[in-house]
Amino acid sequence: MRTLTISIARGLLALSAVAACHGDVSDKPPVHIIQNMDFQQRFDAQEASPLFADGRAMRPPVPGTVAVGSLRDDDHLYAGRGLDGQFVDELPAAIKLNEQFLRRGQQRFNIYCAPCHDLSGSGEGVVVQRGMLRPPAFNDARLVSEPLGYFFDVVSNGIRNMPSYADQIPVHDRWAIVAYVRTLQRAEYATREQVPQLAAKQLGWDTQAQP
Amino acid sequence: MPAIFPRWINQFPLALALGFPVVVLTVIGSVWYWASPKYTDVGYQPEQPVPFSHRLHAGEMGLDCRYCHNTVDRAAHAAIPPTQTCMNCHKLVKPDSEKLALVRQSAETGESIPWNRVHMLPDYAFFDHAPHVAAGVGCNECHGRIDQMDVVTQNQPLSMSWCLDCHRDFEPRLRPLDEVTNLGWNGFYDPRSDLNRERPVDELEPPLHCSGCHR
Repeated sequence: MRTLTISIARGLLALSAVAACHGDVSDKPPVHIIQNMDFQQRFDAQEASPLFADGRAMRPPVPGTVAVGSLRDDDHLYAGRGLDGQFVDELPAAIKLNEQFLRRGQQRFNIYCAPCHDLSGSGEGVVVQRGMLRPPAFNDARLVSEPLGYFFDVVSNGIRNMPSYADQIPVHDRWAIVAYVRTLQRAEYATREQVPQLAAKQLGWDTQAQP
Repeated sequence: MPAIFPRWINQFPLALALGFPVVVLTVIGSVWYWASPKYTDVGYQPEQPVPFSHRLHAGEMGLDCRYCHNTVDRAAHAAIPPTQTCMNCHKLVKPDSEKLALVRQSAETGESIPWNRVHMLPDYAFFDHAPHVAAGVGCNECHGRIDQMDVVTQNQPLSMSWCLDCHRDFEPRLRPLDEVTNLGWNGFYDPRSDLNRERPVDELEPPLHCSGCHR
C-alpha cells in the first residue's frame, strides 16, 4: 500500500518534469486530439500542391485569356487615361466623390503609401529613414500640376524606384488614394478663405477677422 | 475450510474507495489541462525560413497590418504576402542583408518562400476574416500583440469554445473601425453610440448555429 502510493507519487513527479504549462512556447506543431477531417484533401488558399511543378495549389490565369467580366476596357477607370490616351484629371463616372470616399482614400493612403511618403506626403516616411530613396513631396510644383490620371498610373504601374501597387490595391481604392493625394496637395496651398465655414467653426477660427 | 484469499486483500476495498476517486480526478484533471487547446495550440512558434520580425516592421516602424496582409478586409483568407511585397522596400533597403537572401532568391527564381503557417484552423471549420475586420474586431483580439513579437507565436487557442465565447458576447470585443489594426488600443468604446458604424450593432449576428462555421 505504501509502496504503491510512493510509486504513484514518483510517476506523477516524473510526468510533471516533462509536461509544461499553459502558454509555454514550443516550435512543435499543435496536437489535435481528434484528427478526423482535420487535414482534408482539398486545397486551400496558399497551400502547397504536389500536382504542379511550382508546388502551388493556386494557379495564375492562363496567359492570353480574359475571364468573363475582366476585360477592363474602360481606360478611364482602369488606366486613368481618356479617349485621346492622355491622363484624365477627373474621377471616373462610376465613382462618387464624397467625404466617405476621401476618408477611405485617407485610410488606404496611410496603410500603403505612408511608409515611404509619410502621412503628410512629404516623402520622409519610415522606410525612407531606413534607406529607401526619398520620393518627391506631393507639394512639389511639378506634381501639383499633374492630372489625377498621372497619379493613378504611378500607383498602378510604378515609377522609377517605386514598384507597382496594382496587386495590393484594388482599382476603386487606388482612385480613393489618388483623390486623397489631391487633398493633401490642396491642404498645402489652400488659403484661409477657402476653408468652408463649417470646418472653420469646428476649428474655432474667427473667419470674420482680417489677418 | 481454508481461506481462498490471503488476508492482505482485506485492504483492497478501502484502498480502492480512496484511490479510485484520486486516480479518476487525476486523469480528468490531466486531460482537462494538457489536452486543452490552451496547452496544445497556444505558444506555437515555428521557426520561419526568413527571420522576419513583426516587432521591427509592425511595431517599431509602424507599418499597418494590411500593407502586407492586404486581403484581410475583403477575403476569407488573410494572405501571407508574396515576395513582391517584401521587395517593394527591400530592393533598396538593406539589399545585401544575409537575412534577406532567401527573399532575393525567391524574387529572382519565382519560387515561393516556404513560410510555416502559425494560425491554422482545422479544415472542417470555416473562417472568414472579412466580416470580423468589418465588424471592428481588433487584430490583437485573436492574434495577440504581434507587433511585439520577433517570431510569430500563437497567442489564443482558436478553439471552438473560444470562438463561441466571443460570438455569444461580442460587444465588449469591438473597437472603433479605424482602430482595428491598432494593436495597442486600449480605450473605452461603446459601439452603440458610434456614428461611424454603417451597420448598427444590433444587426451584427455572429453565427451560433452549426453551419455558421461547419460548412
